[in-house]
Amino acid sequence: MYGVRKFKRDSGLVTRMYFTMFMLGVLYAIFAMVLWALSFPIIFIGAIVGGMALFQYYMSDKLILWGSGSKLVTAEQEPELHRMINRLAVRAGMPMPKVAIMNTHVPNAFATGRNPNNALVAVTVGIRERLTERELEAVLSHELAHVRNRDMRVLAIGNFLVTMTSFLMTMLFWSMLFGGFGGHRDRNNNGGAIMLVYLVTIIVYFIGQLLVLALTRYREYGADHSGAEICGDPASLASALEKISGVMAHIPSEDLRKLQTANAFLVIPVALTGGVGSLFSTHPRIEDRIRRLRELEQRMSFGLR
Amino acid sequence: MVLARLFGKRPPDRTDWSVMSTIIRAEQRLMARGEISPSRRAGLIFRNDESLPFLRDLKQELDPILYTGPGATKTAFELHDEPESGMRWIVMEDGDFSDLVSSVYTVGNAMGANGASGNLLAAVFQLYFTGAVDDSSFRSGLRTYWIYRYDLKSFYPFVPTGDAVGDRDRPTEVSLSSRARRQGMSIERNMEEWRGLWGIPF
Repeated sequence: MYGVRKFKRDSGLVTRMYFTMFMLGVLYAIFAMVLWALSFPIIFIGAIVGGMALFQYYMSDKLILWGSGSKLVTAEQEPELHRMINRLAVRAGMPMPKVAIMNTHVPNAFATGRNPNNALVAVTVGIRERLTERELEAVLSHELAHVRNRDMRVLAIGNFLVTMTSFLMTMLFWSMLFGGFGGHRDRNNNGGAIMLVYLVTIIVYFIGQLLVLALTRYREYGADHSGAEICGDPASLASALEKISGVMAHIPSEDLRKLQTANAFLVIPVALTGGVGSLFSTHPRIEDRIRRLRELEQRMSFGLR
Repeated sequence: MVLARLFGKRPPDRTDWSVMSTIIRAEQRLMARGEISPSRRAGLIFRNDESLPFLRDLKQELDPILYTGPGATKTAFELHDEPESGMRWIVMEDGDFSDLVSSVYTVGNAMGANGASGNLLAAVFQLYFTGAVDDSSFRSGLRTYWIYRYDLKSFYPFVPTGDAVGDRDRPTEVSLSSRARRQGMSIERNMEEWRGLWGIPF
């Protein structure tokens, strides 16, 4: 690579990521076996959903451009932004992506594209107003890292499987209502079997959702990690996150005296809050990401790898 | 177990001292970097309750603990009442920061041992900060408070910009909190719990 400093791999993170993917695979294998055992016609559903997923996968950059109202900008229109992204792309060892600007004051940035050769990086007007140059570089490095890690592909596969399950769930529901599917079998038997498949589908769908969400959270940490490698400045990504996430708005205006006596009277103990909600979010808590980045910075400043 | 490892980790067991003592090392390290200088003062705020003997005779109880008793750190103190809120402050003063921290801990511990653990609200330490809070602003000798909440067993920074409730310098607090956390200080993660204490008497 081009002078990019490699950090020690976050082995726990990588293990958990692979474990999640493995669990996802196991889950769908079991599901497929149940369906196969019941001689269920899966092919045509797979074809429809697969086609949709492929379309989404190959058209993702254009879809997002249309959907978000971003505009592609050339090197002549935005020389500074292009120079910055080009420099980072060279450091990351990937081709120059397309660059787009979204005309909103909400500070944000995103990347899309099925592989590094077909990537798009977009920033909003708001993020350029609010961040310093180093912070913007750090955010762009994070987005380039998403592209380099091929997170779009991972997400597309995960979403495809979950979408397929939800498709089946709906179909089975209707077939239960109207008693469809395979009249060649004994009716009573068949009804019970469909009921069973329906229950399995719901469970698979739910667990699948949780696993995909966990996976995207790990990809987010992964992009923070390799993004910090690309720009060499985890602290700037941390402070950028602090600025754009609006975490400061959480700091209250209330006086502590009003709390009177503490925890004993709270219905939900403080230690429990924030536990369950984190299972259902696509992004890890900003505070956790900032903490990891700060740790990375510390490792870096002490020369540890 | 697998799920716990997969989706996050459980908080470790914490005691008042294991958390409160993290400010000592953070202060030393930040002082070595020239970013922090200690003030000599700290305080403890609690809901006063004269029906508890220890709180009724507080001055006599504290004298041996902080000053006259064997092994006492010779920490000076004074009491400060807030009639409107029913709260009372013990303001302590000591030139040695680690003595000051252990005095505050000892007093809180003694109150807890005498039936007043539910009355304890917070311990507050004062430090002066010098440095850049982000790219644009440099602060020199900024007065900052570090609040230890007994119910949460964690610290957070508090930088009031005035005496009116709600006036605080949030960006500086966020910046300070990450500096202190980097130096090993135990900082409350949930910012919604960072309630202020306006009108600190020191």
